[in-house]
Amino acid sequence: MIPETIRSSVRLTAHSILGLAKVACLGALVGVVAALLANIFVAGIGWLNDVLLMSPRSRMMETDPLWIVIATLVVPTLGGLIVGLLHKGIFEGRAHGPAEVIAAVQTRRGRLPAWPALLSGLSSLVSLGSGASVGQYGPLVHLGGSVGSFGARLFRTDITVDNIAIACGVAAAISTVFNAPIAGILFAHELILRHFSLRAFAPVAIASIAGYVVANAILPQQPLFQINPTTVLYLWEYGLFLILGVCSALIAVAYMHSIFTVSRMARRIPLPSALKPAVAGAVLGLTALWVPEILGIGSETLRFAFIDGAYGHWELLLVLVLKLLATAWCLGMGFSGGVFSPSLVIGSLFGALFGTLVGTWVGATSELVVYAVCGMVAVTAPVIGAPLTAVIIIFELTGNYALTIAALASVALASLVASLLVGRSFFDRQLQQRGLDLSGGRSKALLVSRTIDSLINNRHVALERNVSVARACTAMGEAMVAEAYLVDDQGRYQGKVTLQALIEKPAEQPAQTFKVVNDFVIDAHTSLWEAMQMLKHFVGESVPVVGRNHQLEGIVFESDLIRAYLEIMAEMRREEYASD
Amino acid sequence: MPAIKSLLILGLVPLALAETPPTLTIATWGGAYESVQRVVLFDPFTEQTGITIETEAYNGGLAVLDDSPPDLIDMSMVETLAACETGRLQLLDHSTLAEGTDGTPARQDFASGTLQPCSVAHSVYATVIAYDSRAFPGQRPSGVADLFNLEDFPGLRALQDSPYANLEWALMSYDVPRKDLYDLLSTQRGLRLAFDRLENLADQVFWWQAGQTPVEWLESGKVVMASGFNGRFFSARLDTNSPIEILWDGQVQEHQTWVIPQGANHADAARAFIRFATTTGRMAAIANHIAYGPTRNSAHALISRHPEADFDMRPHIPTHPYNASTAISKDVLWYARTYQRILQQFEKWRNGELNDGS
Repeated sequence: MIPETIRSSVRLTAHSILGLAKVACLGALVGVVAALLANIFVAGIGWLNDVLLMSPRSRMMETDPLWIVIATLVVPTLGGLIVGLLHKGIFEGRAHGPAEVIAAVQTRRGRLPAWPALLSGLSSLVSLGSGASVGQYGPLVHLGGSVGSFGARLFRTDITVDNIAIACGVAAAISTVFNAPIAGILFAHELILRHFSLRAFAPVAIASIAGYVVANAILPQQPLFQINPTTVLYLWEYGLFLILGVCSALIAVAYMHSIFTVSRMARRIPLPSALKPAVAGAVLGLTALWVPEILGIGSETLRFAFIDGAYGHWELLLVLVLKLLATAWCLGMGFSGGVFSPSLVIGSLFGALFGTLVGTWVGATSELVVYAVCGMVAVTAPVIGAPLTAVIIIFELTGNYALTIAALASVALASLVASLLVGRSFFDRQLQQRGLDLSGGRSKALLVSRTIDSLINNRHVALERNVSVARACTAMGEAMVAEAYLVDDQGRYQGKVTLQALIEKPAEQPAQTFKVVNDFVIDAHTSLWEAMQMLKHFVGESVPVVGRNHQLEGIVFESDLIRAYLEIMAEMRREEYASD
Repeated sequence: MPAIKSLLILGLVPLALAETPPTLTIATWGGAYESVQRVVLFDPFTEQTGITIETEAYNGGLAVLDDSPPDLIDMSMVETLAACETGRLQLLDHSTLAEGTDGTPARQDFASGTLQPCSVAHSVYATVIAYDSRAFPGQRPSGVADLFNLEDFPGLRALQDSPYANLEWALMSYDVPRKDLYDLLSTQRGLRLAFDRLENLADQVFWWQAGQTPVEWLESGKVVMASGFNGRFFSARLDTNSPIEILWDGQVQEHQTWVIPQGANHADAARAFIRFATTTGRMAAIANHIAYGPTRNSAHALISRHPEADFDMRPHIPTHPYNASTAISKDVLWYARTYQRILQQFEKWRNGELNDGS
């Protein structure tokens, strides 16, 4: 005879192994699909850039200079037009991006809708393909997240696994395009999940490795950059990297603020919003006739920033400022794309500028490329809100320990400084502007994102407002409650009376004379967070819920509110700490 | 009647019966390379078909296609593509090529990209940097950057009088990864950086045109480092006293092709020659003599030992993994479109800003 306790633990183990297998399979599947799509996306951008004469190589190969001028003017404009039209199909009138992914996971709402994801992916492809100065990684993060969410729906999982699947897709996309699986895993944790649970780690790691394998076996991605072995010459330079980090944070802040400013200004331009990207494209093309560096992702510019002597001081500053403005202009005016790749370019230009200036003042230092990389990481990390990922990407791409530590030094203060001025990341600030504040942590975000709607019940005593004390007491006594609500003949809420207040009062007096003084009401759209804040000063059983015209719609018991709060916190803790 | 029999095989009967065998004129590159071609390809072809072969000296360039062109040209892939695009070469029917010794049809046996509408690529050659080992008794050059390093490796250089390889190496000396070279050379900034690098070297350079020249200059001690074709340097090293050492870092690989110009007098004979010269056996024989890589997969298996010197040829072929780890694959599509403009810049730079010393 096997004791019942052992049998049940065997059953339990079998159950968790099955669950684990399911989640692992989901991770692998999401990883492979996300990696394939990411590859196709990146290849598609390259192909469009070549065909549409946006890449330097294709422009060089075009023998007729007139075609280059025409393409420079027409392609971004037409691209903008297509982007504008595609965005009309999305409810918000703009592409979805990493902010949506973060919001879905942080509020445990899961489910990234497929149709906007498809349109957003397409519009990003068109934006990037037609030379807009935007990044490619934001769209890839959203693409990966959407694949994960779709996979979770196929597997009919619960919301926690859905969140993990989203993280899997994101990890795979990053792992694939950077050829950096560890960075992929870290990125999904730092930016998307924002907690560390073993339950999530396993499938996310599997997805990230799947992405890496797919990248290397089927469609090898070229590394973002290659840097020949180099080293930090003097230990005191780490001090310079810290300073560079702080300055870079200010550049990052300026960059993010420019994007938000252009977005605000763009809203005031009296044009149909579908046409705004086209206008942006036309202006971009016109400027690019003068400075072609501002077109596209800017991989060549990034590469040149690593070379000593490729730019003069003023040229570095000029290209930096123009790239920053061009990106803010394109994103603010409604082109679809990310903020990551442009910040790589801006950061490396800034790092190179810093390095050149330091070189002139101090004399011999490490190679320029060390400063360019530090600047690149220190501008990027605060923008994406993932300092560790940024450092690990450097490590995975270069395998250079000295360079990684230099990058770490520059990131150390950068993220903190920028977070004081803007917030944890560009995306957090975006969400804040849309009404979702993640700065109070995940518990607040969860509570803010839920309303008390589902907690409303009708088990209350409503009395005509001129009711007498005696009748009110009787009604409460019959219903076995200690609170009753007064309404007028149109059902409008008039106040609350309690049994304690009415007892031993003259029976014929109107009950409303003795109604509760510090009364308050809530409406059905009140978030759990607000309701909990109000409850701090509340004594009683239930809170009246009123609708339009102060109509009494029902009540919410204090105990229900507390139970809902505890459940959400428990779910969150289970997602973040449990291992099964 | 062995001659008639082979003509039947080659499908040349009408040609053979109609007249006495013609003389085929082939433009090719002279020196050690041509000598090998003579032994492995030209003489055996004449023996089999009775068609005699005359050669015409050729150092590349499209001028060879101007009035009264030769019947056949041993042309580099870049120029092949450019000439084909402007309709100056005859289209070739690849289905007439011989199948591999293992029976693989030609289309599958040839490496991808080697069969183009106007051409059949017959070998992979590399432009490499070589140096005179006598000049650097202690520390020896080990990478492309050392070509531009006059401090540690002083002495005169010999470079090809052409942008080919020079621009790539100049940019590579800034630590630009190989995959980025042509993207960066597509920008004015990249070209400027490359010319800046060459400019530092300019007063130390002799410019060569014929492939045999850098070999002679290195052997005579006129220069201490030189760019050149790997097969030429290999042939020189067959003499065990040769001071020449090859630096495989940054070798620039390209295909060499057979093409028939428009207006060729003996196009049929030229086609027969192409079929003859691109069989697995002939390709492997070339590789075994002069260390140019074959373009047929089946020929790789037949690379063995040098017929006279009797050592393993594989480590001397550009595509051998040991040599190819940092190889640059010449972006022939890019050059085919840009060569004239790049060449103009190159010449402007050479004329305007230095005494070239040659």
